[in-house]
Formats: sequence, structure tokens, C-alpha cells
Amino acid sequence: MNKDLNYWLDLFIKVLDKLPLTLFMMIVSLFFALVIAVIVAVIRIKHVRILSGLAALYLSFTRSTPLLVQIFLIYFGLPQLLLVFHIDINHWNRLIFVIAAFSLHTGSYLAEIMRAAYQAVGKEQLEAALSVGMSYPQAIRRIILPQAFVIALPNIGNQAIELLKDTSLAFTIGIIDIMGQVRIILGNNHGIGIFEVYVVISIVYWIICIFIELIINVMEGSVRKRRALLK
Amino acid sequence: MAVIDLAFAIKHLPDVLKGVPATLAITIIAMICGLFSGLLISFIRIFKLPVLNQGAVLFISFIRGTPLIVQLYMFYYGLPVLFDYLNGRFGLQFNADNIHPLYIAFIAYTINTSAYQAEIMRGAIQSVDRGQMEAALSIGMTVPQALRRIIMPQAFRTALPDLGNTFIHLIKATSLAFAVKVMEILAISRTIANDGYRFLEMYLVAALLYWLLSWIFEIVFTKLEQKVSRYEKAQQSPVKRFYSVRQLKT
Repeated sequence: MNKDLNYWLDLFIKVLDKLPLTLFMMIVSLFFALVIAVIVAVIRIKHVRILSGLAALYLSFTRSTPLLVQIFLIYFGLPQLLLVFHIDINHWNRLIFVIAAFSLHTGSYLAEIMRAAYQAVGKEQLEAALSVGMSYPQAIRRIILPQAFVIALPNIGNQAIELLKDTSLAFTIGIIDIMGQVRIILGNNHGIGIFEVYVVISIVYWIICIFIELIINVMEGSVRKRRALLK
Repeated sequence: MAVIDLAFAIKHLPDVLKGVPATLAITIIAMICGLFSGLLISFIRIFKLPVLNQGAVLFISFIRGTPLIVQLYMFYYGLPVLFDYLNGRFGLQFNADNIHPLYIAFIAYTINTSAYQAEIMRGAIQSVDRGQMEAALSIGMTVPQALRRIIMPQAFRTALPDLGNTFIHLIKATSLAFAVKVMEILAISRTIANDGYRFLEMYLVAALLYWLLSWIFEIVFTKLEQKVSRYEKAQQSPVKRFYSVRQLKT
């Protein structure tokens, strides 16, 4: 186990080389997940007919099945399904499939967080806003959303961390991110030191998680400070 | 050749069902062992035992800050390294290859879930009102007695919904057990799908199975919650209770 410093440094550099792809997957997926979440949350809050039932089915499915199954269904299953309608998407970039899977998966969790946050604000806030003459969109934008955002922020941060950890599954369909890099490093090492590689990978994930936590804490702090000033 | 072959899926359903025991075994054993080790860690955190407390904080942060699959790979490939070290140091004859993959999965999943359950239990124990402990001590109970008879029953009731979520989470997490070479639901479906080029069918079968399992255990935990919160219903309306007692007397 006594490897010199250069060996560890070399491993870190090789792993960090693929960090941008991991972060790219995470940020793009988080963006689309937020879009999906808003749409689904609105459908659920407004009780839109038919769509509301579909949304419930989507939430139940994505929350009751493992993410890995969802990735496989989208990457292997969807092209097969679309071939029935003579649409060939087999040649699409793999990144599109994983980002779709991550977005759909995280989107369902975020949708429930947003719905809960909206409901936590309380009906009387909306009524008060309407009673002073605001229109419904105004009330939502000026009164409800700012408060809901503060309530939802810690949970959204947790989901961002979950999403980062989830991106570690992208290697299962052959994407060379941090996890995919393992095979390449081992190929050069002739398969020696696989444990050390995973130690390095875990430390990289750990540091990014702590970093995201810090960002969320700073955001929460600044939001709370601004609200305190208003009082 | 039909594009979607339902007969293929039905034909191979019994094979996939053979993975259910492995999935459930990992989930249930990790849940129970994780609850005990999680309780131990939560006590270390609550009583702030020196050194151990810092260790617990680091452990929980690491487990929650790294992906489960990385932990599984680390454990799987770290075990031989550990055994080599121990064998060289103490002249032992351990061999990691002799350990059944299922046992490796039990330990790895227990370690992972204990960190999550420790935080759940810590929150639940601390949510019990301080006065409860003081009252128990004031009538002459010792601290262990008070914990066992007064604090823990209330803490478990608070923790139950989160423990249920952890259980469902564990069911889904077992889909990663392929990392330690366990053949569970998804690993079997994957093998069959690769052999027969029938991806959609087999992954749908796996997804529906997980869905069904999650659904069943959700019901189990809801029933359990209803059962342990019966006393709340009894407490809810003293007026109603008063009248029901009077009716019995007359």
C-alpha cells in the first residue's frame, strides 16, 4: 500500500480529466429536471384533468423503480420502441439518453419538492395578495414564488447532490466520465491498483458534494439575510 | 420477428423472479443490521463521545457524499487488499475469493444504510421532548431504563416514515449489486436481454417487479404506521372519550 505521492497525484489528474463531463451531465440534467418539475408541479397543483393522472403515474414509476432500470429502458428500450414507428434513434449520442434519464428521474423528485413548497406557503398569503388588488399571476410571482423558493432551496440542494451521485451510473452505458475512466486507467496499469482508483474517485465525489453543500448554504444565508432586512 | 415480443418476456419471467430472493435478502438484512449500527452511531453523536463522535461525522459525510456504486466497488476491491495486509501482518489465511458475493453485499449495504439510518434516528431521538427524559429520571429510572422505556418507543414512532423511505430506497439500491457480482433482479434481466436482444421487454419486466415490490412495502409501512399511532387517535378527542365512558356506565 506504500505508493509514492506521484502515483496518487497521477491518479487524481487522470480522474479529474473527466470531471467536466460529469459536471456537464449534472448541470444540464438539473436544468431540464427543473423544467419538467415546474410543469408537473403545476399540473398536480391545478388538478388538470387526464394530465394529472398521467403525472401521478410518472411520479410513481420514477420514484418506485431504480434509476439504473430507467437508464436501461431509455437507452436500450426506447430505440426499440420507436422502431415500431419507423423512427431510428440508434445513432444518437449516448449523452442524450443519460441526460434524458437523469432529467426525468430528478424531475419527479423536484416536482414533489416544489408542490410541497407551494402548499407550505399557505392559502392566506394568496388570499391576502388578491385582496390588495393583485392579479393571480402577480400574486404568484411576487408573493408565493419567493416564499416557496426559500422553503424548497435546501431540498433542491439535496437533490442536486443526489443527481451528482447518480451521474456515476452513466458509465453503465459506456460513457467515459469519472467512473468510465477507471477502465482506461486500469488498461494502462494492467489491472493493478483498482482499489486505489476507486479511493481517488470517491474523494473527488466527496469534495464536489461538500462544495455543492457550501454553495447551497451560502445561497440560503443570503436569501434569509435579505428577508431579515425587509422586516 | 415482432418488434415487441411479449411472449419472450413471459417466458423468461420465472428466471427474473429467481432474483427476487437476493433483492429482498439484501434489503431486509441491510435494513435490520443497519438499524442497529445506525442506532449505535446515533448514540455516539447524541452523547458526543470524544474521538468517536468526530469519526462518526466523517463516516456519515463520506457515505452520504459518495455514490453507492463507488462504495460497492471500493468494498469489493478493497477487501482483498485488506486481507493481504492482515495476512501479512498476523500470518492469517483469509481469502476474499472464498466469500460469497451475497455476504459482501450484505456488509456493504449495511455500512451504507447505517449512515442514513443513524441520521434518521438521531433526528427522531432528539425530537422527543426533553421533559420526557427528565420526568423518567425524576421518578427514579436510570438513563438506560428511560431510553428503553420512554424515549425509544416515541423516537421509533417518529422515525417510522423515514425508515420506510429508507427501506424502499434500499430495494431500488439493490439494482447496483451487480458491482459485487450478485445476481439479483436487474442483473438477471440484463443477462437475458443481452442474450436475446430483447432489451425493452426484459427491462420492463424488471421495472414492473421493482414497482410491485416498492408498492407492497409502501402498504406494509403505512399499515405499520397506522398501528403504532393508534394512541394518537385515542388521544384526539377527550370529549368523545368522556361520552363513550358515560354511555358504558348508564
